[in-house]
Amino acid sequence: MTIGPSAFLGLAAVLFALGLYGAVARRSAVMVLMSLELMAVAVNLNMVALSRFVTPTEMTGQFFAIFTMVVSAAEIGLGLALVLAIYRQTRSIELSSIDSLKG
Amino acid sequence: MLSGYWHFVPEVLVVAGALAALFGEFLPGRDKGAAYIAAALAGVAALLVAAGGTGGPMVFGQIEPDGVARFARTGVAGLTAVWALWVAGRGMSDERRRDAVALALFAAAGGMLLCMARDLIVMYIALELSTMPAYVLMGYRRRDVSGLEGALKYFLLSMLTSIIMLYGLSFLYGISGSTAFAELSIEGAGILGLVAVLLTLVGLLAKMSAAPFHYWAPDAYAGAAPASVAFVSTVPKIAGIAVIARLLSAIAPDMPTLVTLVAVASVASMLLGNLAALPQSDLRRLMAYSGVAHTGYLLMALAPGTDTGYTAAVFYAVAYALPSMAIMLVAAEEGTEITDLAQLAARRPWLAWSVVVWLLSLIGIPPFAGFFGKLYLFGAAVDSSLWVLVVLGVLTSVVSAGYYFRVVREMFFGEQVGVSGEGVASPAATVALVALVAGTVVIGLAASPLLRGLGALLG
Repeated sequence: MTIGPSAFLGLAAVLFALGLYGAVARRSAVMVLMSLELMAVAVNLNMVALSRFVTPTEMTGQFFAIFTMVVSAAEIGLGLALVLAIYRQTRSIELSSIDSLKG
Repeated sequence: MLSGYWHFVPEVLVVAGALAALFGEFLPGRDKGAAYIAAALAGVAALLVAAGGTGGPMVFGQIEPDGVARFARTGVAGLTAVWALWVAGRGMSDERRRDAVALALFAAAGGMLLCMARDLIVMYIALELSTMPAYVLMGYRRRDVSGLEGALKYFLLSMLTSIIMLYGLSFLYGISGSTAFAELSIEGAGILGLVAVLLTLVGLLAKMSAAPFHYWAPDAYAGAAPASVAFVSTVPKIAGIAVIARLLSAIAPDMPTLVTLVAVASVASMLLGNLAALPQSDLRRLMAYSGVAHTGYLLMALAPGTDTGYTAAVFYAVAYALPSMAIMLVAAEEGTEITDLAQLAARRPWLAWSVVVWLLSLIGIPPFAGFFGKLYLFGAAVDSSLWVLVVLGVLTSVVSAGYYFRVVREMFFGEQVGVSGEGVASPAATVALVALVAGTVVIGLAASPLLRGLGALLG
């Protein structure tokens, strides 16, 4: 039995959905960041799988995945810096406690 | 293949300016001097783009410095220079100014590349380069909790939408087997094609703060320093519009429903933005909602996916960015509540009249830039018989006069409570504001030749 593209795409979709759920439902800023990272991983998996099955010789998707990995690493770093800066002021990383802005 | 690299000279200059500002510890004048140098380099870059020529696809077709890209790049670099000049003169709320200027210039470099991007990978990286410094700018005051809170919200939402868009892009690539805009095609992909386009569209619309994905904008802007908002809410938008238009017109031929989707977002943005702006008392919130409304006008021209609409949208993005940045800079000088502007006409008459010019341009009253911008937007929608959008656009523009005129009334007839208008006068900041007034008037007066030039280039 061979594993076709649909298995990879399906796994990526499941990971993406899990990450999306976590990003929306979690109350801790760090957990939200981790969920976002899970979504990014799902997208990378999608790209690499599509690259393998659609354009096996050109590997465009693999290059794309490498770029997105670097970008999302930088983004997560920035996000953690923001969370730390907030933690220094309020001693909390719960998103529900940071809601002074309304309207 | 290597012959066209002089097209990148302005970007190189902008990055050089950013690095000079970042490592400008030992430059003459230190903090201030470094910021001025960066502003000057960005200004030179804007002039170079404006004077430089256009070219066909280059770097394996991933970049195309065409005429519309040239206009958008001039706008991005020019507005960044003006903003940097203002910050250099006026300062960024007791924090170091050269870091802020450096961040803005990095974002500008990303934005300028974004205008020319004709490939999904280049587009994604340029988009991230133009938005990532914005997160830092939004939370620039390290000890201000509400600013950090706004920045974190902006960051989380922006990253979420980036990833959703990226998921869509990965499917677009999988379906068409290429990342070049020219080869994108979702023909015969059925439901998967629809999913890919929907995911991409959601991400892009949220980035442009179009309804119904606009909820982050008012909260994020209301927490940040007004000077940061002045940059973040305007400059990346120009570049975003320039590339989104290209991407949409690459997909549109295979997907007739795209017009409807974008039109629905346009209607929702115009209605929600203008109605929600009416009761606001904070200038940042007011401008955030008015930004949503203006995104609605822009989408109106993008919906048909025609070249006319594309040109009109990019033109309007610049025509909207000028006054919008100016109003936020005034808020940074005078205070963020509308009532802080009370009696501005008595205190600083020239500034009050400048604000009137900017507001009239935002409403769309001739002879300012905004009027011609809207004229061409509506024209593009009429060409594609999107009558509902045009009627709504005109009606909501009239509604928008309601909240813009509240600002005018406050400036001329408001009761001044307490002492406001603190801060030292800064010649550089004044020059920046004068440049924004001049730009609003000149683009208005020169709209016809400018647009004819843009149209001819698309030919």
